[in-house]
Amino acid sequence: MVAKKLQENIKIDAELCTGCGRCSEVCPVNAIEGQQGKAQSVNAAKCVMCGQCVQICSGYDSPFEQYATSRSQRLQERNMPIVNEPLFAAYYHGDFFKVKKRLADKKQFSMVQCAPAVRVSLAEEFGMPLGSLVPGKMVAALKRLGFTRVYDTNFAADLTIMEEGSELVKRITEGGPLPMFTSCCPAWVKFVENEYPELIDHLSSCKSPQQMAGSMFKTYGAAVDGVDAQEVYSVAIMPCTCKKFEADRPEMKSSGFQDVDAVLTTRELAYLIKEASIDFNALPEESFDKPLGMYSGAGTIFGVTGGVMEAAIRTAYELITKEAIENVNITSARGEQGVRKVVLDTGSLKLKTVVVSGLKNVVPVLEEIKRGKTDFHFMEVMTCPAGCISGGGQPKMLLPVDGKRAYENRKASTYQHDEEQRYRKSHENPEIQEIYQKFLGEPLGHRSHKLLHTHYKPSR
Amino acid sequence: MNSFVLGDPKKCIGCRVCEVACAVAHLDTEIKTVGNMNFSLNPRLYLVKSHEITMPVQCRHCEDAPCLKSCPVSAIKKQSNRIVIDETGCIGCKSCMIACPFGAIELIFSHQESVGDGDLLQNEPEVIASKCDLCGGEPACVKACPREALQYVDMVKERTQRRIAAANKMGGFHNEFMVRE
Ligand code: SF4
Ligand code: SF4
Ligand code: SF4
Ligand code: SF4
Repeated sequence: MVAKKLQENIKIDAELCTGCGRCSEVCPVNAIEGQQGKAQSVNAAKCVMCGQCVQICSGYDSPFEQYATSRSQRLQERNMPIVNEPLFAAYYHGDFFKVKKRLADKKQFSMVQCAPAVRVSLAEEFGMPLGSLVPGKMVAALKRLGFTRVYDTNFAADLTIMEEGSELVKRITEGGPLPMFTSCCPAWVKFVENEYPELIDHLSSCKSPQQMAGSMFKTYGAAVDGVDAQEVYSVAIMPCTCKKFEADRPEMKSSGFQDVDAVLTTRELAYLIKEASIDFNALPEESFDKPLGMYSGAGTIFGVTGGVMEAAIRTAYELITKEAIENVNITSARGEQGVRKVVLDTGSLKLKTVVVSGLKNVVPVLEEIKRGKTDFHFMEVMTCPAGCISGGGQPKMLLPVDGKRAYENRKASTYQHDEEQRYRKSHENPEIQEIYQKFLGEPLGHRSHKLLHTHYKPSR
Repeated sequence: MNSFVLGDPKKCIGCRVCEVACAVAHLDTEIKTVGNMNFSLNPRLYLVKSHEITMPVQCRHCEDAPCLKSCPVSAIKKQSNRIVIDETGCIGCKSCMIACPFGAIELIFSHQESVGDGDLLQNEPEVIASKCDLCGGEPACVKACPREALQYVDMVKERTQRRIAAANKMGGFHNEFMVRE
């Protein structure tokens, strides 16, 4: 039952849909069905919940047309607060009310994390220029909303690099399934489970940063504050519509409780801030809480395509050669093409990697892997066209031209934020070093295995 | 001669991007994201979708404009090859709506009034007539359409171009014809 509800997270409102078919042009898995010109529908068995259809849809509720469904019914159906903005045919079910209710309880001990892509887009919902970089204001807003601890997905991204980098080196030296695939994007993971079950072993066993943060909150984080895991309400702010599904996966309970209790999109966080009458633009810059809010530049570039690869290379190079990498800016991993090859010479080994953005682009690569025609070691895949900065839960542009501008600016801000950081490599983040010393032991160790790794199941 | 925007039903897929672009082009302040919208989108062209046809309809900027003639307070004027409504003059009487054979005029709430001096009555949004004003010569709808289904027709330019094209064609034909003779 639960699985059924989850799978129907992305929907098309038949009354507003004009059947233009633009959503099916962007849907990477052909999940949108219907005749041209007629209302479309989402085939939940195929949909990977990336929300790209939600972003492109321009079939809105015209004030000059009459509909059988009232506006308040539509808002209710979508779990949206009372807002006056136009509503579009393609939408997702939100979690606004669920989180608002828990936050209203002042005795609730809550922890929140924010994905790297949220700090470069949230301000857009308050009229600031596209791609404005606002980590400090975002933290200030979250504190004013009543979150007890404002932690960060970026910390967990650093943790992911420690685990995933070590897993890669282990697979190369001990002969595990290669190429190894990244596993941070739940839509990509779902796609492998749905369409390429025979390649499941290639997925890294690492949980995504969201889920690593979740399990750290209710174990290490709870211990730091001396609270019980069951008292902690764990919320994630994500640019992504699929992260809601990921948090609800039944295996994501390694703390003994659901590791991430609720996921809000960037847009939903903006609703919360507006409803609380917080003047976002006037907020001061505040800092993330320690220990689980400290991050390196490597953690923050997870938000753009190629970022996970670049972050992994910064650390893997040192793991393999025992020497620091000369230039941390791996510009060959950055870029726009759907498939990019990045080769890193470590002396003893030529590390061959591939970066894929846009799920559609991965299919030919997967077919080659099935035919045994590939020789590379590691592949990063992000479902959304420019990585998470272009996710389905990000601010929706009114005009298509602004979509491109928003991607460009968010990307530039992300790299700028990387350069601003004192530490640029995940393994140099002092809080990462400390969590291994005090709690986790070593990467791929017993505790890590239990709390930071997962397994996958074919969908059929 | 007045210009106008013309839709091509063979190319139009009915996505409403033109409507959104139009509404955005006529906002008082620059708004980029849906979350910044605090009211509905009020476009000045309207998608028509029936079994037979899909295309937007908008003002034709008639030479002998019936709306202009019907307005009792002369709030509709001809201005640099366009028919435009003077929103401050409009009293919302709907005469123009009745007169327009294209159904190109709508009544909308004006949001200009939303910031006032505290007098509640003055703060009430005004109802005014609204229609295509050709965005001052660069229609937002034409630029935004992902299918190039809209064309900005500048009749004077169009006519001149067609004459030149026709002359070239006919001239070539004539010469060839003459040579063969
Ligand atoms: S859901 Fe939106 S984009 Fe898709 S066909 Fe309907 S109107 Fe077009
Ligand atoms: S959410 Fe993504 S996969 Fe699902 S229908 Fe929309 S575009 Fe397709
Ligand atoms: S690329 Fe990022 S935003 Fe898009 S589906 Fe994957 S995790 Fe979500
Ligand atoms: S934007 Fe173009 S294709 Fe879409 S409804 Fe308007 S005219 Fe038709």
